[in-house]
Amino acid sequence: MSAPSLANAILKRPWLTKLVKPIAAWYADAAGYRKLGLRADDLIPEESENVLLALKRLPQKEAYDRVFRLRRAFQCSLAHQLLPKDQQTKPEEDYPYLSPIIKQVEAEAKERDDWDAVVVKRKA
Amino acid sequence: MISRSAIGRNAQLALRRQCCAKPAPSNRRGLAAVSTGSTSFSYESADVGGIKVASRDVAGPTTSLAVVVKAGTRYQPLPGLTVGLEGFAFKNTLRRSALRITRESELLGGQLLAYHTRESLVLEAKFLREDLPYFTELLGEVITQTKYTDYEYHEEVEHLIKLSQKRLLADVSDLALNSAHGIAFHRGLGTPLYPTSSSPLSKYLNDGTIHEFADAAYTKSNLAVVANGASQTDLSKTVGEFFTGVKSSTNAVSSPASKYYGGEERIAHDSGNALVLAFPGSSSFTAGGSYKPEISVLAALLGGKSSIKWTPGFSLLAKAASSFPGASATTTHFAYSDAGLLTIQFTGSAQAIRGASTEAVKSLKSISEGSISKEDFTKAVALAKYRALEEGQSTDAGLVSTGAGLVHGGKPFQIGEVGKSVEGVTAEKLKSAAKALLEGKATVSAVGDLYVLPYAEELGLKV
Repeated sequence: MSAPSLANAILKRPWLTKLVKPIAAWYADAAGYRKLGLRADDLIPEESENVLLALKRLPQKEAYDRVFRLRRAFQCSLAHQLLPKDQQTKPEEDYPYLSPIIKQVEAEAKERDDWDAVVVKRKA
Repeated sequence: MISRSAIGRNAQLALRRQCCAKPAPSNRRGLAAVSTGSTSFSYESADVGGIKVASRDVAGPTTSLAVVVKAGTRYQPLPGLTVGLEGFAFKNTLRRSALRITRESELLGGQLLAYHTRESLVLEAKFLREDLPYFTELLGEVITQTKYTDYEYHEEVEHLIKLSQKRLLADVSDLALNSAHGIAFHRGLGTPLYPTSSSPLSKYLNDGTIHEFADAAYTKSNLAVVANGASQTDLSKTVGEFFTGVKSSTNAVSSPASKYYGGEERIAHDSGNALVLAFPGSSSFTAGGSYKPEISVLAALLGGKSSIKWTPGFSLLAKAASSFPGASATTTHFAYSDAGLLTIQFTGSAQAIRGASTEAVKSLKSISEGSISKEDFTKAVALAKYRALEEGQSTDAGLVSTGAGLVHGGKPFQIGEVGKSVEGVTAEKLKSAAKALLEGKATVSAVGDLYVLPYAEELGLKV
């Protein structure tokens, strides 16, 4: 989850955002996961403590839908088929539902590390 | 040369005293110096912006500060909410995380605790005197800005509630005491202190319902801030500054007035035996009118546990139980804001409990007939007085009873008056109190080996 990203730098500059947004939209669509009915956050590798904890914190409905999407995608992959057009993920459905929780978990872990390394300076 | 003996004994002592005095000069106080706090044991109370504040400025370097909230198990609208709210104390708030709260108070050497009684939920902090502003701010923040997130409930609170349920199920004496309260008061005060393991908690308890209960409970008229070891002016100032976020109540928590019912309950249990005989008692001193000091004298006279070493003591139950080795008996008087419960609790082997409880009822009868020696009576009054005063003097019990008194009736725990009212009990009053108990309905709760444990009927009690 902590791959280097230019996203924040781009979002800060409106003119650059305007320029890059169509390219980003084209790229996300071309990546192909939406044709299997997945969302971008479904692709985050689960094999880390933080992500596992974040998955546990998902609301029940979100967690259920996530498992459904994954199973449907596996099935499509096995059958070498794409979903019919109406079942594919639409761009507006492809919102980050997991990564905000992961960021929160990471912030908690960082805060713990910071407190463990704290140096106390007494006032003289 | 000066020989050793030439230096006088006094000179040696003076030298030694000087050396010893060096390491801690600040702790020394001459006879004429003024102490930093008063040594009065009564609380001064005040009203700061609608919040009741009481403090006792006991001299010393530490302070304990508590927020006493009228949100004990008696006032919970759904089962388990008090325990849930207690679990959410000192968790993430809008301004800082639970981890930050813990680590910061550790660095200041403070202790944070949350616990509940049947009537009050208490959030308490103990710390060094100079840190009063920090901890007042913390408590104010906890009661107004806690987030009550769902993941904290599932990860940290729910698990503890389940463990407390299991603990209660394993503890026969707690089970019997909760059952006795349930029989005696049905709802309200009869609600178990911790949810029993078979109560359907998941139906009622989640972060949403806890948040709603918190909004109803943490309101101005519903809480009192009590401090021990802080001056009233400092406390009023900091409370006025940091408790501004507390809302005034819109839908205050409430519970119907307690009514005594009485009856019998028997619960089979595999690990241990307990028997509780209970009678209607007196409300707590802070409640005002319905306070009956003779009940606490009766509790001291029945007793059970000796207050001195190597002897069963003067109390009637201790004498009775000594002929049944393996049984232990204690008499406790639970005083609440509008009712009380005088309980005699037995634990031990079932056979011994059976014998001891029969003896206990006999001795209660002997009190009601007035066949108590004058000496025993004097001892009981002295012990009851000591217990009442000690409760007021000790920091923790005093905090809770003062806070509960302020929230319920607006009267802090005044130590001098309690002592006087206990002294005023006469043998005649005691006799009539015992008589009234035996004539009314008793509460009998047996947990354990039901084949051996007696029924109320066999003990000669009316249920």
